[in-house]
Order: sequence, then C-alpha cells, then structure tokens
Amino acid sequence: MHLLRTFARAAGTLAVLASSTALVQAADVSFLTHWAPDTVAKLEAAAKTYSESHPDTKITVRAVPFGDLLTTLRSSGGGADGATIAGIYDAWLPDLVKDKLVAPVPDAMAADTKSNWPAGVIGAASIGGTLYGIPNEIDVYALNYNKKLFADAGITAPPKTWDELLADAEKLTDKSKGQQGFGLINSWAAGVLHPFSSLLVSNGGDLVVDGKPTLDSKAATETFNLYETLVKKGYSDPAMGTSDANTTGPFLDNFVSEKTGMIIMANWWESALKSGMGDKFADIATAPIPVGPSGDKARSISYSWMTVVNAKAPADEQKAAWDFLNWLNGPSSGPNGASAMGDILMSMGILPSRTSDGAAFADRLNSDPFLKGYTETLANAKGFPVVLGGQEFSEALQKTLEALQFGQLSAADAQSQAQSDATEILTRAAQ
Amino acid sequence: MLRKQNRLAAAMLAPATVLIGVFILVPMLLTIWLSFQNWSTQTGFETARFVGVQNFVDIFSNSSIGRDFKTALVNTAIYTVLSVVLILPLSVVLGLLVHQKLAPGGVFLRTVLFSTYMVPMIAVALVFSKLYSPTEGPINQILGWFFIPPQPWLSSPKTALVSVVLLNVWQQVGYFTVLAVAGLTQIPDSLYEAARIDGARAIERFWAITLPLLGNTLLFSAVIAIINSVQVFEPVALITQGGPIDSTNVLTYHIRRVGIERAQGGLGSAMAVTLMLALIVTIVAVFAFARSREART
Amino acid sequence: MSATANRSDRRLLERSRYRLTPGTALLTSLIILVAIVAAFPLLWMVLSSLKTPQETMTVPPVWLPATPSLDAFFKVAGVVSLGSSFINSAIIAVVATVAINVTSLMAGYAFAKYEFRFREPLFALLLATMFLPPIVTLIPLYRMVSYMGLTASLAGVIVPNLANAFGIFLMRQFIKGVPDELIEAARIDGCSEMRVLFQIVAPSVLPAIAALTLFAFVYHWNSYLWPLTVLQGNTDAYPIVISLSRLLSYNRGAMNTGLVMAGATLAVLPPVILFVLLQRFFVDSVVSSGVKG
Repeated sequence: MHLLRTFARAAGTLAVLASSTALVQAADVSFLTHWAPDTVAKLEAAAKTYSESHPDTKITVRAVPFGDLLTTLRSSGGGADGATIAGIYDAWLPDLVKDKLVAPVPDAMAADTKSNWPAGVIGAASIGGTLYGIPNEIDVYALNYNKKLFADAGITAPPKTWDELLADAEKLTDKSKGQQGFGLINSWAAGVLHPFSSLLVSNGGDLVVDGKPTLDSKAATETFNLYETLVKKGYSDPAMGTSDANTTGPFLDNFVSEKTGMIIMANWWESALKSGMGDKFADIATAPIPVGPSGDKARSISYSWMTVVNAKAPADEQKAAWDFLNWLNGPSSGPNGASAMGDILMSMGILPSRTSDGAAFADRLNSDPFLKGYTETLANAKGFPVVLGGQEFSEALQKTLEALQFGQLSAADAQSQAQSDATEILTRAAQ
Repeated sequence: MLRKQNRLAAAMLAPATVLIGVFILVPMLLTIWLSFQNWSTQTGFETARFVGVQNFVDIFSNSSIGRDFKTALVNTAIYTVLSVVLILPLSVVLGLLVHQKLAPGGVFLRTVLFSTYMVPMIAVALVFSKLYSPTEGPINQILGWFFIPPQPWLSSPKTALVSVVLLNVWQQVGYFTVLAVAGLTQIPDSLYEAARIDGARAIERFWAITLPLLGNTLLFSAVIAIINSVQVFEPVALITQGGPIDSTNVLTYHIRRVGIERAQGGLGSAMAVTLMLALIVTIVAVFAFARSREART
Repeated sequence: MSATANRSDRRLLERSRYRLTPGTALLTSLIILVAIVAAFPLLWMVLSSLKTPQETMTVPPVWLPATPSLDAFFKVAGVVSLGSSFINSAIIAVVATVAINVTSLMAGYAFAKYEFRFREPLFALLLATMFLPPIVTLIPLYRMVSYMGLTASLAGVIVPNLANAFGIFLMRQFIKGVPDELIEAARIDGCSEMRVLFQIVAPSVLPAIAALTLFAFVYHWNSYLWPLTVLQGNTDAYPIVISLSRLLSYNRGAMNTGLVMAGATLAVLPPVILFVLLQRFFVDSVVSSGVKG
C-alpha cells in the first residue's frame, strides 16, 4: 500500500516533468484537405481529441475545393508556410518527390506502416523503395446499374462481357424518354480516364508498363472501338455526362433521376447517390467490370490517397505532424479498434485501406450491398499508374477520350494520338 | 521653382509609382525573363536554367503543349471577339433606351443594368451554371415556350464557349451601357433638331449623327471590353474547368494550370508573354482602325 | 368636392411629361422586358435560395417556392464561417480602397498640377499598366510575395494592390478641373503641399473620390484569382467570395442548388447595396473617365 503510493507519487511527478518539458515547444500543424465541410468537422473533432493529450500541438484544418487542391499544394510548395500535412492523390506523388517537397516517412513509422497496409497501397505511396506518405483512402471502380430500369427492359443480370454490355445498353436506350443505356463522363480527368482504364484492364490491357505507355496494344484498340460504338449507336450521350469542378453535375443527376441505365464509377459517390435518390437508392446495384474479348477475368482500376508532410516545414513541425498522423491512422484513435481516419472515411462511404480498419469495419462493409460490390472488385484491381508527369499524362489522355466521346476523333485516330502524346509527355517528364 | 517642383513631384509620386513599379512592372519584367528559362514555379528564382527560345518553340509546336496552347489562344480570341461584337451594339441600343425621354423608366433601367456589374463573378458563375442546366434549368424551359428545342449549353463542346460568352455579356453590358449613355449625352440636341428640320427620319439620324459621334466612346468601350474578356477566369475555373474537350480552355485558366498546377514556370511565362504581345497588337490595331475612320470622316 | 378633384386632376396632368402613344408604349414595354431579362438571373438566385432541395431538383423547373424558407441560409452559415469571411472581405476592400484613394490623389495631383521632366512619359507608362491582365504577372508576383513572407495572409492579398493606375488616371482628370487660383491661395497662406492636397483639392473632387471608392471597394470585394493564389487554403483568411466556392465541395448533387444560391445571394448583397447607395457618383465618374481625354 505504502509502496503503491510512492510509486504513484513518483509517476505523477515524472508525468508533470515530462509534460512541462513538452510544453516548452509548441508546434503549429496545418492539414490541407479537399473534404466537404461535414467531413472537415469530423477531422477537427479528432484533432481536438489529439490536442487534449498533446497540448503542445495545435492543428488547424485548411480546406479547399477539390478542383483547387493540387494548385494550392503547388503554390504553397517550396515555402515553409505551406500546409504541414496534405491529403494527396497518389498520382501526384512522383512530381512532388522530384521537387523535394514531401518528406520521407521516419523509419520507425515506415516499418509500422508497411506491416499494417497491403503491399499495393504501400507501393503507390513509395518512390524508389522509400515510403513518403501514410495511405488512407482506397478507391475502386465497378459497374453501377439501375435494377428497376433493367427489369423494365427485361434484363435479368448485369452484363459480364462486352458483348452483353452492348446488348444491354441497346435495350436500355430509349431516346423518347431521354434515357441512355451506358453513361460516359466528361470534363473531369478521373471521370474520363478511370472508367476507360477499368475497361482496358478488364480486357487484359494496360495503360503504362515499366514507365512506357501501352495504348497501342490490341486490347487498347478494342477498348477505343468499344467507346466509338457506344457513342455512334447512341447508347451513350456525351451531353448527359458532363461534370463540374466538384465532380457533380449532369452525369450524377442523370443517374439519380433514372435516365442512365449503367455507369462505371467509384465507391465514394455512394453518399451522393443516397442523398439524391432517397428511397430509390435501393434500386442501385454494383457488379464487376465486364470482361473484354482479350481479357480473362474481371479487373478494375484502383487509386489511393495518402497524407504527406511538407519537407520544407520546420523540423519540430514535421515531427509533430508525423506524431499526429501516427495517432490518426492508428488503431487507438477510432471506435472498436479502428482508426479515426478510417472512421472519417467510412462516414463518406469511402473504403479505408488499413488492414485493421478493414477488419474493424467488416460488418458495416459486408452489410452494405452497394459497397460489397466494390470490396469484391478490390481483389482484382490494378493501381492507376503513378509516374512522373502523371497529371499532364492524365489531362492529355482525357482530352483525347473526350474528343472520341463527342465524335471529333475516330477510334483509330484517338488511339494513335493518345499513344504519341503519352510517349512524349512521359519521356519529357522523366528527364 | 522647377527644382522644388521636381522634388515635390517626386514626393507626391513616390508611393504610387513605387508600388506600381514593384508590384506590376517588376513582375512583368520577371515574366519576360522567365519565359526564356526552364523553371519550376515551386522553387526559388535561382534554379532557373536558361533555354533560349525553347519555350516559345514548344508552345507553337505540334506537341500536346503546342496544341493545348493553340486551343487556349484560339478560344480566348473567339471569346473576346464574340463578347465585343455582342456588347458594343447592345450597349448602344440599351444606351438609347436609357437615354430617351419619351417613355419613363430610363433611370430605373440604368440601375438594373449597372447592378449586374457589381455582382461577384463567382455568384454569376454559380447562378448561370444552374440556369444553364439542361433539365433543371429555366433557360431551356423558357426556350420550350417558344418551341425552341433544349440546348446542351455547358455540356457540349459546340455550345460551351458561347454559353460563357453570354454569361459575360450579361454581367458587363450594364457598364458599357452607361458609357454609351455618357457618349450620347455629349451629342448636342441641336444636331438632331437640324436633321429633323431637314426631314431626316429617326434611322437616318442614327446612322448619320449618333453613330459617328459615338466613335470615341465606342473606341474606349472596345478596348475595355477586350481587356476584360481576356481576363475571364471564374466561370471556367468554377464550372467548366476548360471543358468539355478544352472548348472553354482560355488563356487565364491555361496559364494557371501550366504555370502553377504543373509548376512549369518557364512555359507559363512564355504563354503570358505571348498573350501580352497579342493584346498590344490587338489594341494598337483597334486604335489604328479608329484613327483611319476618323481620318475618312 | 369638385374643386379638390379638379386640382388633383390638374396636378396629375402637369406632372406627366409622357404622352401615351403606340411608340412610347412600345418603348416602355421594351424597357420592362430588358429590365426583366437583366434582373432574371438574380431573381432566380434569390428564389432558389428559398426553395426546398426537392423543389430545386424538379424537372421541369419550379419557379416559385411553395413555402419560402430560410433553411438554406442557416445551412450556409453553418458550413461557411460567414462572420469571419465578411470581415476578411471588408478588411481587404477597405484597406485597399483607402490606400488607393490616398496614392491616387497624391499622384494625380502631381500629374495634374506640377510641371516636371518626364511627366508625360511616366504617366503613359503607368497608364499602360492598366492594360496588363493580372494573369501575366501572377506567377512571379506570387514568388515575390512568398519571398516577402506574406503568403497565406491578408497582407499578401492587400499589399500588391495599394496603388492603381486607373485611380491615378481618374484623379488626374478631375484635379485638372480644380482652379489653380484656389491652390495658389492656399500656398500663399502657408499651407504645405500635403495640406493643400487633402484640405483644398480633395474636397473639390469629392465625386471622383466617391467614385473611386465604389470602384475600388467593389473590385476588391469581388476579387477572386489573386486572393485564391496567395491564401493557399488558409481558410481563416478567406474572403467571402472564396469561402463560397467551398460550397461547391459541399456534398454532391443537384439537391444542393438552394445552398449554393443562398451563398451567392449573400455574396451579392454588400456590393449591390453599396452601389445602390452611391450609384450616382459611380455613373458620373464612368462618364467622365470614359469620354474626356
């Protein structure tokens, strides 16, 4: 009893000493994100919880619309007053590392991260074997379709092959009702590229192999031709597929108002669909990407997000940032052994990539039929290429595909332009 | 006396001149210098590497850089021409409506028209993106009342740029109408009286008196309209992001994308310099045109 | 009774300067039509901000809200920190406006009333900067501001905008009209040049000052690209126009139209109110700047 009290007193004194030394240095950490105000509120709540146990760290969240995220990151780069932490899309990592704007993950944390996340995601967050960010979100594409429209058109199951896709699209297209069988997206890079790439990889093809574009392959030819057919036969109306600065707009509205039969989209638009459709959301189902003539099984495209730390920030700020990220992404910060980050992502209907989060949320994920279609596709997903000049490569390919969508280019011309542009851009960026 | 005035003048001019010199002229010179360098916008100026005219060669080449720049340049030119062609005549017609004394409401109309100029561009962009919505927007609905089929507006590469032009015209026409009214007030009534006595009809009076005497005002309006059009940014950044298929990619947006988002500072600066030169040439041409017309009359 | 009736009849007749003819009827209807077309987007904006989300999504569009509600506005207030955004906008606009007035008065006075070497070439050079689209100087200006350590702050937004060539031009035009005798008299009385400028000249060109105030205030209140570039996500310093662009990221879909329209309505109010109060001066200044010289 007496011994215990002595121990307690000693521990208490140590604690006071420790915390007061910690109080000597205060670090101002800023977190740059594109999340919507609701989600930012959750992040700020998590930051507040962290600050209660770490009073020496003050965390502020800076939010910008998605369309401005890369620009904000770029304009603040190269300066000590840029945001300390930023949530970035994996395709942006190579160029940021090349310009020495992001700091490598400290060794101890890196080892811990590598053991807690799947290899593919770790790969997307590493350059040359060095880990540069903590992955959080993983996104994958699947075929979304409207069961009610399917039933009305007499289709019993979602298409498994491209031939079935075209046949179903034909049945679902009804010009008199302004209904299109298959929805394409334009005016937004990911919306144009990722569905195309999903179809390409489901046809056994690839965008980039070993840093060289492979858009001239037979698999690619077939994919370009598929698009040309969809548009020429009127199964897809490009005017119904526009997107705006924040990835909303007609392409979403038309699916919500049941004017589009099928569309390939990512898992994170679940919350938008739910709030737009209300009860009718029960009509929506997901399925794997149809397999092309040269493909062997259904594949998909995935991409991830991660948090990185500004390499130009003062050393104590960087350390405080890594500590916060360690906690935020660790199993003690969220409910039931999940991480706070995982919890934030799940609130948006987004899949967390940390293995333990997948387990902690397994029930929620399994009971949501919409998300289940995605988690099943994840196993066969290829990461969207992460290369130097990735953003420029994406935008050039986006333009070519949009020209194909609007009938300005034939499939053959689109393919040759895509390949030559990609080759030129990637070679130039690698210099 | 003169020396004292020189010193006084220097003191009076110092704040404005220094500020404008530092924050406008210096960056302008830097832009010109940077257009000959290979430079990442995220790094300090010391990392710039001299590459001669390579950037200019690139933006006029057939690579994706060159094609994109050409599209942006052409789009900006089309946008500017359309804006000016729509705004100038409209401003004259509306100016006449505001200025006339036969029917009431001139001042009221002037207030309504001019207030649109006060609206922040972001609000204009947001509102019009909803107005233009192919299904939920009232514009297509109103067209339907006149049996005109619904237009894709911002959703089609053929109509997107025009949609943004109309937005711009709506926002700016009030300002130019007031300019036109100013010009109209300067025309002496006696001229009209004399013409009326001579038996000239209203239309003839317009062509013979009003239009020529508005020449100065129209010149000023044209130059201001051109400068304003070249600066268009919010509608593209907030709604179209240059799409679909780059049909609304204008130079302001493109330079920001290349120069800041892709951090290609040298290329961005070369584009900016080209824009500046194109603007100078255009304005000089407009002035020359005006002077030649003046010489003829 | 008949006497009063006659008197008011006559007054009515005397007041009406307008004769009703087919021509004037046509003109009046034309005026009304143009006014409606011009005001329509703004009316739509306000009406939509009062609708329920379902009403904004109906096809074909519904024009009038069945039961107007201010819900969207409250939501905006919860999403965007309206108070601090408005304050930031006000700080930027007011500081810039005051500075522009002062620097323009000083420089305009020098150009209008002093004789010195290089007066005309210098004026031409400053005027030329009016024609430079800001995008041309955006990138190096950003780097410069970064070197000065002013990024992510309101100072970075304001400092490059403390002087304006249009302001100098406007002041020069108006100060030219101030009688030299007035200035000479003040100088003989022993006033320093600054006192001459601010106590004698400035009150004489009050319309120009009012006009420049309105022009500069509205321009900086509405300014988007430069603040966006400089502030880099520092939402505490966001002016209202940029805060509102965050509404675009609020959830996804057509059902948030009301929210966006409410935000737009709020952004529109201050400049328009200021304009309605000061419009006579603004219009007058546009008139004199455009046509003279």
